[in-house]
Amino acid sequence: MDDFGRRLLQRLVRRTPAQALKATLGKWERLTVAQRQSVDFTQPKVAVMEQLVAIFEENGWTVKHITELEMINYMENANRGMWHAFQMTDPKDDANAVEMMQFKEQFKSHLSELVRHVSVKIKKHTDEALWIRIAWGDSYSPPNHLKPTYVVHHLQTPYVFVTSLNSKQKPFLVQALILSTGYQGIKDANLSGQKLTAIRDLLMKQYQQIFPSKYNSPLTEKNETVSNPHIEREQSEHASKRLQMACEAFGDGIVPQLQTAVYKLETKFRGDANTNRTMTKREGPFRCLVKFASTNLLESFRECASSGIASTPVSPLLSSITLKGRNYFVVTENGLPSSQT
Amino acid sequence: MKVGDLSVYIDMSLLKPFSKLPALNAATILLVEREERFQQNLADALVGDTTVTVNVRLAKSLPLPMDNEESRPRIDLVVFIINLTSELSLKSAEASLKYLDPGYFLGKVCFLATNARNTSVPTERLDAMRKLAASLHCPLLFAEDQTPDGVNSATERLLTVLKVAAGLVPTATALYLSSLTRCTIPPDIDQPSFE
Repeated sequence: MDDFGRRLLQRLVRRTPAQALKATLGKWERLTVAQRQSVDFTQPKVAVMEQLVAIFEENGWTVKHITELEMINYMENANRGMWHAFQMTDPKDDANAVEMMQFKEQFKSHLSELVRHVSVKIKKHTDEALWIRIAWGDSYSPPNHLKPTYVVHHLQTPYVFVTSLNSKQKPFLVQALILSTGYQGIKDANLSGQKLTAIRDLLMKQYQQIFPSKYNSPLTEKNETVSNPHIEREQSEHASKRLQMACEAFGDGIVPQLQTAVYKLETKFRGDANTNRTMTKREGPFRCLVKFASTNLLESFRECASSGIASTPVSPLLSSITLKGRNYFVVTENGLPSSQT
Repeated sequence: MKVGDLSVYIDMSLLKPFSKLPALNAATILLVEREERFQQNLADALVGDTTVTVNVRLAKSLPLPMDNEESRPRIDLVVFIINLTSELSLKSAEASLKYLDPGYFLGKVCFLATNARNTSVPTERLDAMRKLAASLHCPLLFAEDQTPDGVNSATERLLTVLKVAAGLVPTATALYLSSLTRCTIPPDIDQPSFE
């Protein structure tokens, strides 16, 4: 194995916890049972590394095989890096009939036509998602395996999730995707987060949703606490109603874990003309950026609304995170979040 | 609408201290808190008192809903819980004050401020809080809402005031107590301090 192979393998071993590495090797079908058992994961990482190198050299495996291993590892631990969502638009008639083999072939051939040196690997994950690993090179340099781009696409859906994509390479990827999926356009879905599953669930509406209804929902019963007969809530209907409204806006149960929501305001400054003359007199819009950050943003919002810290009904600005499946908004003067990218 | 109708309407929404008869050996306390967080802990601790029957009513803001008018006992003490880290909390309490009958301000209202030691509290808000309490001749208590000890000590202080306000302590009246415990502000509060 050459130096570069060693470096790549070393990086993989270093970045992965021992248990995850063991699981990854188990998933990799190339290793024999005996080889797998011979690696002792209780040792320090350096020793594990040496054992792996020995196995790789014994079988004559190269960079190609290491990238395979890396890909399996990434698929199992997808919550690294920043994932961005894209949505393809204007499907052609055959967009719903794209089949996996056809997509694989077309994507590879289109991309290698566009970029001279590129290494593409496509694998199907257990949940029917297609994982694409792209190592980019250019006319003069071979593919850089240290900075691969990962793309996740569910066939027959317009959504694509991308991580660590360079702006220079974006047009190539976009073009290859459009040509091989039967869509005619692609746009930024304005949604990003560290958890791939979370942004996927949010876009595909795969979380427990509550729909507005005028009848009492079972939620009110859930909220009832066994309390002392001497304690009485005067405005008890408020609490259950707030919870209902919060769940309508942000979902019930476990909500997708988003980390941020960003609002770019381009509105006029409104306020008392006397107290802030310089601001209200300005002709142009007042630009500012409002950013909410939390380890689980939707849950925080739901908690704020249901506990009464934030007012209910929830502002459409906040509820459109789930409604429209995005977390980046540009708010312009007409008051509604516009969909400009 | 005639003037008479209007006055009836206003009277209905006002909470009055003496419109109902007191119950035997019982005291009722109304906890008003916008966030509805601390009041639940406080209520659980308050009803634990064994010497008198303590009834606790919880509210987010005033006025109280008319539907509960019949079942509501006479309220002996109204406590506004104010989280000083939130401007809304103070504003909400201020808005609620006008739904109280003036009779309450003769010793049957008290303010309970939480989070006063938090560094994110602007001093102006604390001053506004003190001025509000002083202008209404009400006591201003400070409490720690994060620890069980803090809840217990706040409970003890409230119970002491409540028992007097409910007339359960011989020789003491709410008005008498409040003249001793009400918040006063130093005359130089508006002066910039030189340190």
